[in-house]
This record gives sequence, structure tokens and C-alpha cells, in this order.
Amino acid sequence: MAAPSASMDNNNPNHPKLSKTEKKFLRKQTKARHTLLRHEGIESVSHATESLVIANGGLGNGVSRTQLLRVLERCGSVEALLMPPNKPYSFVRYRTKEESKRAYATLNGKEMVDDLGQNITLYLNFVEKVHWQGLRPPVLPPGLMIVEEIVSPEDEKMLLESIDWTDNSLGQNAQKSLKHRKVKHYGYEFRYDNNNVDKDKPLPGGLPDICNTILEKCLKEGHIKYFPDQLTVNQYEPGQGIPPHIDTHSAFENEIISLSLGAEIVMDFKHPDGYTVSVMLPQRSLLVMTGESRYLWTHGITPRKFDVIQASQRQKSGVITSDAGNLTLNKRRVRTSFTFRKVRRTPCDCSYPLFCDSQSCHQNETFPSFPENDKEASELEQEYVHRVYEEIAEHFSSTRHTPWPQIVAFLKALPKGSIVADIGCGNGKYLGLNKEIYMIGCDRSQNLIEICGERQFQAFVCDALTVPIRSETCDACISIAVIHHFATAERRLATLQELARLLRPGGRALIYVWAMEQEYNKQKSKYLKGSRDSDEKKEHFSSGVLASGPLGEQNPGTSNHDSVCSISAINDLTREEGSNANGVINSKLPVHINRTSFHSQDVLVPWHLKRGPTREKHSEPQKLKSDPVGLPDSTPIFHRYYHVFCEGELEAACRMLNNISIQQSYYDQGNWCVIFKKL
Amino acid sequence: MKLLTHNLLSSHVRGVGPRGFPLRIQATEVRVSPVDFNPDFVTRMIPKMEWTALVEAAESLGHLSELPRELAEGYEKDEEFLRKVHHVLLEVEVVEGTLQCPESGRLFPISRGIPNMLLSDEEAAS
Repeated sequence: MAAPSASMDNNNPNHPKLSKTEKKFLRKQTKARHTLLRHEGIESVSHATESLVIANGGLGNGVSRTQLLRVLERCGSVEALLMPPNKPYSFVRYRTKEESKRAYATLNGKEMVDDLGQNITLYLNFVEKVHWQGLRPPVLPPGLMIVEEIVSPEDEKMLLESIDWTDNSLGQNAQKSLKHRKVKHYGYEFRYDNNNVDKDKPLPGGLPDICNTILEKCLKEGHIKYFPDQLTVNQYEPGQGIPPHIDTHSAFENEIISLSLGAEIVMDFKHPDGYTVSVMLPQRSLLVMTGESRYLWTHGITPRKFDVIQASQRQKSGVITSDAGNLTLNKRRVRTSFTFRKVRRTPCDCSYPLFCDSQSCHQNETFPSFPENDKEASELEQEYVHRVYEEIAEHFSSTRHTPWPQIVAFLKALPKGSIVADIGCGNGKYLGLNKEIYMIGCDRSQNLIEICGERQFQAFVCDALTVPIRSETCDACISIAVIHHFATAERRLATLQELARLLRPGGRALIYVWAMEQEYNKQKSKYLKGSRDSDEKKEHFSSGVLASGPLGEQNPGTSNHDSVCSISAINDLTREEGSNANGVINSKLPVHINRTSFHSQDVLVPWHLKRGPTREKHSEPQKLKSDPVGLPDSTPIFHRYYHVFCEGELEAACRMLNNISIQQSYYDQGNWCVIFKKL
Repeated sequence: MKLLTHNLLSSHVRGVGPRGFPLRIQATEVRVSPVDFNPDFVTRMIPKMEWTALVEAAESLGHLSELPRELAEGYEKDEEFLRKVHHVLLEVEVVEGTLQCPESGRLFPISRGIPNMLLSDEEAAS
């Protein structure tokens, strides 16, 4: 691919020799082009087309649609602006080539300020039209169906009046707080502590007779295979919702049907890849969830008072697309859902074993147990940390491009000539930030360190438990998102001891670890917020939602796992071999569902690998994959082990060192952070 | 791997302790790349270095450049001296070769400028 020729440079047609700034800009533009090609398979072309890829102008790096559109529209009429979620780039298509050429000339190298107030520079390159096909059209999750007007307004009224909320068994506190939806069960009690039903203890009375007509109809029309024997009625006031979850596989059969009465609602479905689809469920419609939509995608209702819907499609079911010209706000009203399910009597045998509580094997992979000694911990880390990072290194590196502001601030505040070690440096994100200091990085992953090498950073491969740097040579150390990969408290403490050892007296260490509490002070972390599409309203979950399980909240306003965390933090370092903090022996590590709250401190977090072009120069570069939402059987999934930290846990571990003093302890975007100073 | 980095590295094979420093360099490919000279930076770096080890490392690569075996008084003001130190610390890079633990003899490979210091479980300190 040819570099842009001098003729592209509209400013100096008669001066082919480029100035220093122009050379620098060209270098950066070329670099952006190469990065997009290598990490995303996006091929730029040197001849003008109507379409441009805008590097650094994406939702994934804090640029909003409104902001970018404003800038782009100055150059011409924008036919389409596609901002793939979580990506640091976007695609724009102008009506004519002249307009896109104007944008290419004037916006290249343009500086903007992003969401975080950071300066970013846009780099534009022409692309062929083919890339538009790569982006997924808005379809319903597979297996999902909506049947409109399945009940008449008269039947709707009868069903609503049949529920007597006054003898609600949820308890006085939940009712009085008015923060949480009202819930009632029939047939079998649904338990929110284990998200399952008590299959041996049916509730007297079974399902209300009044439901028979609608259920017979559903059976006849083939929406369900079995006559349901469990009913959960939920009543949502405006502002109430339900966190994203998958209905426990082993609890219920495949088909789950849900009637929306009293009002319509927008329900959010999320694929493990992070891809979200918002679906309008009209009043008096039946939602049928089967297959993938029932076993793989999470569903939830965001607690808010307005939903964004398609103006032209108001009361029609379907996916709500971010078609900027057609959206409007819909005020919520009280909605009551009747969810009918058939209790499952045999273990689940679905095709989604990763998300299945019945199946412990996935493609011959047996999920590991909580390690009980140092050797098991080392083996767990080898399999579920080191091996994984080697496999996903390139893709992982492409998602790690934005340095976190508070870490940048820590590094920039260091005196000139400081020697700084980045323990667990990954792709070297922080190694080149401050030119006044000397930074060396180390990581356990050869492949990630090679990326550092390519970027001309000083880096080497080693284990954080034993760092081959002389004692007391570092003015500062950072360890960002590293220690949470160690599987025992002793090993985590040992990494902290190494950090302290490296520091000269007076030197400071900055440590970041993933927090169990992904929502803190009523603010959801970016991890939970997922896509940074500016069209989404950023609402806060009420604090009670963080408790117990995905479906319910036993103790609204307090966090159930608070007590679990504090006990385990103390017990972890003193417990006897053979049992974990909860006294459960040989417990399997749970698989976490991405972009939801953590329910256990020790988890396996899935990584869906997106393969880009290989790094050998002679190989054919691939186009952007036509299906960014990979299906489980076509996209390799890797599990990384994490021990997420509770509030105070990192601090407590640091306090066990006798040669440091803690200077700061804070929470930053879903992480617990500590700065300590060597005495 | 620059020589400044080498000056910080020490073998962590179990039992060697401080005798794991300095690692002996055997280089098969060395590269010299210009780096902007910053006298202030170099001045601040010198006291943090193990001077003898630095001189030996430079010597082993054939880049002695008449660095004195001992630091002289008032080096902060000697620009010619500072430039020599700058060259040795920041401009000389070992691209291919090995680092050897002086105590145990264990070899650590350097490839594409990256040392691999990973030890096996048995070799690492417990």
C-alpha cells in the first residue's frame, strides 16, 4: 500500500519536500493504518473513496457520536456514521468523493478532546465500501419471538385484577422501600439465593385457573412444548428494573414465555461478546425465549423512567436501532409480567455448556476447582492465565490502548530521571508515557512483551513472584491489573513483597486490582456500562440490586457479599489447607458472565478471541470479519482466572508488609487501588 | 536491552542472592541507535548505577569509549564525559545474545532486544 503522495497534500502542491511536522504526521497516520490492519483487519486504500476510517475516533476511546458528527459535518454531508461499540475507530461515508477528500485533508491530524478531557488526534484513511457489510444488522437474538396482542384488553384486565399484592411474601422492608419491583410466585417458589427452584417443595394451589386459557393457546400454537408449572409475576413501577441475567439452565426447560400486561417495555439482551440488542415488548404481547436467547444471552430491564424507542414503530415489537433520526422517548408506566416456565427434572443438556450449571465440561475441558495449595495455584495460573494471554496477546493488546488518567497522573508526577518498573506491563501501555523517566516493563507473557519490543520499550519476560531486578533500585513501581491473577493469598502477598523489595527507601508503588464491587457509590463502572454509545442513557442501579443474585434482592440497600468479603479477607491469610474461606471443599470455580456483577471472588472470566490477520508480512490480510458477534462454536473462548478484591482487601494485604506505609487507598472505575511508600 | 537496563537486572536463580549481579553479556548482535542527549537526565542516572558493572558491560561489548573505572569529582559539569555515559547507557542495545548468571552459570536468552528471564519452578526461589 503506497504512502500518501505529495499530491494528497493540498497545502503544498509545489513543495514536495515535507517539513518535520508533516513527516511526523505521516508517520502517525501510517502507524494508525497499520494498527487497524493488524488488529482489526481493516484495509485502507490510497485512492479516494466516499468512505473513511477514523482512527482514534471511536466509542471505545471516549469519542461520542454527537461530537464526531459535528466535526464531520463541517466537511460535507454525512450519509452514514458507523461507530462500532468498544472500538477506537469509526467509519464515515460522505455523499460524494469530493466531500470525503475534504474531510481527509482537513481532519487528518485534528485534535479533539474526548469524554475524559484527554487530547486525542484523529487519523483518517480511505477504505473500500466493502467494510459496511461487516457490521451486524439489528436482528432479534436467535430463538427469540414476540407475539403481539396475544390477549385482549378484557383478558388483560382480568389477569391484572386476579393478583392480590397485599399478602405478598417478599416481606415488609422490600415493599416499603418502593425501590424494588413486586414479585409473586406460583407453583414453585423461586429462590434468589441460588437462583433455582425447590423442586421437591411445590407451592399449594399450583397456577391460578385464570391462566389456563392463555396457556392452552400457547401450547396449541406451539410456543411451548410443555404445560408450565411455575409462574412468577413481577410488577415494575417506572424506575424499576431487573439486572441482566440468564435463567438458570437446570431449573427450567427450554421455552420461557412472558406476558407483558399494563404497559410496554424495552428489554435489553446481551451476548457474551458484549453485543447488546434492545427489544420493544408491546403491551399485551408474549415474549418467547428459546435456544440461544434463553441459554446464552442475558436479558434485563434497565431501571429508568423513560425508554428510547423508534418513533415510527411505537407499539410494534422489534429491535430498536440507533437510527439517529427516528428515535424518541417513551414514558414508562406500571407493567406487570407473567413469566411461565416448566420446571426441569433432568440435568440441562443445552449446547451452551459454558453458561450451564449442569454441565461441567466444555469441549473436553474440565473446569478447575479452587486451588488448595501453592502447587495447584501455580498450575491453575499456568493454564488459566499464562497460556491464555499467550493465545490472546494480539487481540488483547488491541483492546488495551487507553491509559487510565490516574495512573498517567502518578507517572507524570515522578521526578525527572526516576527509574520505574512496570510489573505486569502487558503490551506496554504505560511504558512510553513519560519521557523524563526511565521505565522498564516485565510480564509473564512472551507474546505481550514482544509487542513492547516492537514499540521500542525496555522490557523482559519474567514472573511477578520473582523479579530479576536488584533490590532498592526503583524510584517507583506500578502493577496494574496483575495481582488479581494469583490464585492464593500467599502468592498475592508475595508479589506485593517483591514490589516493596524493588523500591528504594522513599520510593512509591501504585497497585490496581479488579474490584468485586463493580458498582460503588451508586455509580456503575465502565465495565458494567459496557458499550459507550452516547445514545444510551447512563442510569444508576439502586444500591440494593448489587446484593445476592441476578434475579432478586433479599436485603435491599445492603450488599450481601459485604460480610462474605470481610470474612474471607481475614480468613484467606490464616485458613487451614483443604477448605476455602467459605468452608466449602473442592468447589468448582464459577464462570463469570461478562459485564455483570461478580458473585464470587474467585472466577473464570471468558475472553472471546477475535482473530485478526497474522503478523507475518507475507500473509494475506483479512477483511473485518463479517460476524463480529462470533457464535460459541466458531469463536474460541478462553477463560482467565481472577481473584477479584473486596473493599479493604488490598489495603489489608499491603499492611502485612512491615517495610512500607500506605499513602492512598481509593476506588477507580471498578478497581481497588493502593499507593504505598517504602520506609 | 540497553545497558542502563542491564545495570538493573540481577539473576534470581534460587540461592544466588546478590551474587547474581552483574549478569555477563554475550552478544551476537548489537545495535547503536541515536537518542537525544539530555545532560540533566544522565547526571541524575549516574548515582543510581553500579558504576563498575556498567564499565565492564560496555567493555564486553567493545564500547568502552574511555569510560574511567571510577567516577571523578565534578562529573556533572563535564559535558564530554556525560556524552560518553549517555552513549553507553542509552544508545547501545543488545539485540541478540545471552545473559549469564555469574554464580550459577544459568543462561538467559536475549532475542529481538528482549531478555527472557523466566525460571522454571525448580530454579526459582521459593
